[in-house]
Amino acid sequence: MAVTGSPPRAELPPEAYARMTLVLRLGLYLAVVVLLGSLTVYLIVHPGADSAGAIAQNPILGYLGLAGLIGGLRTGSAAAYLTLGLLVLVATPVVRVLSGLYYFHRNGERTMAAVTFTVFVMLLVGLFAVGPWVH
Amino acid sequence: MDLWLFVLLLGLVAIAAGLIGSLTGLGGGVIMIPVLVILFGVPFPLAVGTGVITILATSSTTGAAYVRDRLSDIRIGMFLEIATVPGALLGATLTVLLVHASLSNALLIALGIVLLSIVPGAIARRHEELPHDVRPDARSQRLGFTGEYHDAALDRDVPYVAADTDPALGVMFGAGFVSGMFGIGAGVFKVLALERFLRLPMKVSTATSNFMIGVTAAAGAGVLFAAGYVNPLFAAPAALGTALGAYGGSRILPRLRNRTVRLIFLPIVVLLAVEVILRGLGWL
Repeated sequence: MAVTGSPPRAELPPEAYARMTLVLRLGLYLAVVVLLGSLTVYLIVHPGADSAGAIAQNPILGYLGLAGLIGGLRTGSAAAYLTLGLLVLVATPVVRVLSGLYYFHRNGERTMAAVTFTVFVMLLVGLFAVGPWVH
Repeated sequence: MDLWLFVLLLGLVAIAAGLIGSLTGLGGGVIMIPVLVILFGVPFPLAVGTGVITILATSSTTGAAYVRDRLSDIRIGMFLEIATVPGALLGATLTVLLVHASLSNALLIALGIVLLSIVPGAIARRHEELPHDVRPDARSQRLGFTGEYHDAALDRDVPYVAADTDPALGVMFGAGFVSGMFGIGAGVFKVLALERFLRLPMKVSTATSNFMIGVTAAAGAGVLFAAGYVNPLFAAPAALGTALGAYGGSRILPRLRNRTVRLIFLPIVVLLAVEVILRGLGWL
């Protein structure tokens, strides 16, 4: 491969790659454990359920708000734990962006830090402002 | 169909989707959505919500492996996310509005057309193993968009540098829009932008696409959750199966040649495009 006029290499420290890998792995493992456990429990406590019923009624609609979710988790609702597992999956890349912001800032890369911060803010706007607005 | 059987079958299909999605950078949602709609009879909006969750599972699984192996370019990926995230927010919002206007079939046809549109470029580059004569633009030089990865199939370190960042940003905005709108990772467009405009090697393109699709999906997820399109009884088995399949894919990709990766995703994209168009037209 011919690379012409290659720019100087701007390297993140190896620790950044290791931490980002860890963030993604922990998020995934946590989500998998919660989803697998809660899905199993849901199927056990709803033995006669069928796919048509599942299509007709979404069981997590009552747990999308913080108060509803916490209440559901306290009472041991499988649907609330399913919601939690999905939210962990959504939160994982957001935390990964935050970790990138930390390392770009620490490496003195102002432009990349600003870009990553902008992405982080847009993600928060999407999750906490645009979603509820559309709803 | 009994729910447990439905969940089991969905999980098995998701394993295949995760495997293919991680190898090609497509993300898995592009396979899961037509399968959910056509084979399982799931309404399109719920399929879109499930697709977003499969993308998140694929991205976290493969992202961890590809970042560790330095196959994903973190710097380029994070830079391009500034275009995909607003695109995803706009796309997801528009989907909710269009579904409310009963335009689901139009969305399916549009998805098929979007998929078909990437085929000619991929065919044109089918014999290319690594890009040649790549010249970085001013932004690429300033931000240090260069890297190197060890190619296990070629058994050597491959250096690379990013070329035209402006058109790549434009395509990435479109990729985000498509991702938010259809619940797919829009990896095809991300790979297109990374490979064709930035001129990155195919494997770096698919690995970086896999790294990016999670953030794009997270941007659209808030909208789809709030609209009630994410049903955990579909999303949970899809996520679990996809994660398993994607893990397998992340073990295989480093050992494949770039040309092979391209050859895997082309027929899949064509097949799915035809299927969703026929479905949108009511012929399936």
